[in-house]
Parts: sequence; C-alpha cells; structure tokens
Amino acid sequence: MAIRTDPEGNETAALFDLVDLDGTEVLEIGCGDGRLTWRYANRAAHVTAIEPFEDSIARAKERLREMKLPVEFRHVNFEDFAAGAETDIFDVALLSWSLC
Amino acid sequence: MVHALEEIHRLLKPAGTLIEIHPSVHAPPFVEVWSNGRLSFAERDPVFDYEDDLRQADAAVATVLDRGVFVLDDRRGFELRTHAASVKELRDHWALVGAYDPEEPEEALMRGRDEMYGRARAALEAGSSRAEVIYVEPATMSRLTSSPLVSSRG
Repeated sequence: MAIRTDPEGNETAALFDLVDLDGTEVLEIGCGDGRLTWRYANRAAHVTAIEPFEDSIARAKERLREMKLPVEFRHVNFEDFAAGAETDIFDVALLSWSLC
Repeated sequence: MVHALEEIHRLLKPAGTLIEIHPSVHAPPFVEVWSNGRLSFAERDPVFDYEDDLRQADAAVATVLDRGVFVLDDRRGFELRTHAASVKELRDHWALVGAYDPEEPEEALMRGRDEMYGRARAALEAGSSRAEVIYVEPATMSRLTSSPLVSSRG
C-alpha cells in the first residue's frame, strides 16, 4: 500500500467550507510536494504554487504531470517571490503549513 | 512572520482571502494503529518540540488582526491523517518530505520516538494483514479577509 494522505478529505472539506475557489487566482505558499494543490486546483482559474525546496517542487511537478490543472509551480521562497510581484493580483492566498 | 503576512496582504486584491493552515499548538500529533476497524494503539509523538514556533505563528496572526491588516472570518480544527501499511513506510515518507525531524534532535526524545514506533509496530504485527498505522496531525485552518483600509499597499 502506498502512503495515503488525508483519504478522509478532512483538509479539503475544511478548505471548501471556508472559501469558494471557483474561478479564482490563487497563490499557494509552501506547496511542498503538491499534496494539497491537486485537490483544489481544478476549481481555480489559475494557481501559482511556490516552494523553496527543490526536491519538493520536483515531486509536486511529477505528481501533477498527468493532470490537466491550471498550476504554475515555482521554485522560489516567499520573500523573493513577493519582492518581484506586483500588488493586488491574487484573490486567495493559501499559506499551507508554512507560517511556523 | 508578521512581515510575510503583510506582504501577503499587499499581493491580495482588496477583500482577498488568506487561508492559513498550521498544526495545532494545543494538540500534539499522535500515532494510531487500526486493525479490522478497531483502534489497537494510540500514542502521542514524543518529538513535539516545535510548540514555540507554533505559538509564534499564532502570535503573528494575532498581530496582523490587531493591526487591522486582516479580519478573521472563520476558523476550524481538523485532523490531517497519513496512512501507511508499515511503520517503516511511514517513517520513510516523513524522511522524504523532510517533516518531523528536529533540527537539533534531543537523544532522549528521539529514543522515545523509536520506542513509540516499536510499540506501534508490535500492534501492527498483532493485527490483521490489512492493519494500518496512521500519523494524526491536529491542525487549525483560518479564513482571513484582507482589509482594504490598511495603507501598506504598493
């Protein structure tokens, strides 16, 4: 058996309960290996998923490779990303297990 | 952390939404073993040494709320459960994703974790062939709305 993360869907149930992602421009900060990204990205207009660890973002890209999802993965830390980003561009920011 | 939250505010459209997810500071992660629909083992992970980080995260959120950068709309708890067929599979997974290994591990805590996983392994072996070990992470998810009144933009 392969590892299964949140097969109960507890995290996505909470997420969908809290925010309507339909048609939104999403920034996911600390997407890791895309564990959460693939579960919601089909609802968004576009997802920019950033992650500072190269191994993790490589696994995220591999995980979503076969899926036709509107996700752009970027290997960058938040500080550098924000420094080069314009103002008022995202509808939703998802800070996923990254504040601590 | 506060600066990062203020930067997120700048990147969000006015009245945009921040979803903030982090492990619960009040409930440490724990390990369960289930066999034939019955819980046969449950113990907390003794290596829960990042409470200070979590308290700082909570404090950072509280600060931006106090400053009116964001408004807290809603918050809820949930459990993130990671299932594996063996203790080895679970620990290999954590090693791969780089989680739950402290930067400066205390020998006694790491030994305690090894012993805890040893007991979980014994419970698994005593169970059915479809028994599972599950790492349970209590977590908090908050929805915050970006306040358009704060002038930290641009």
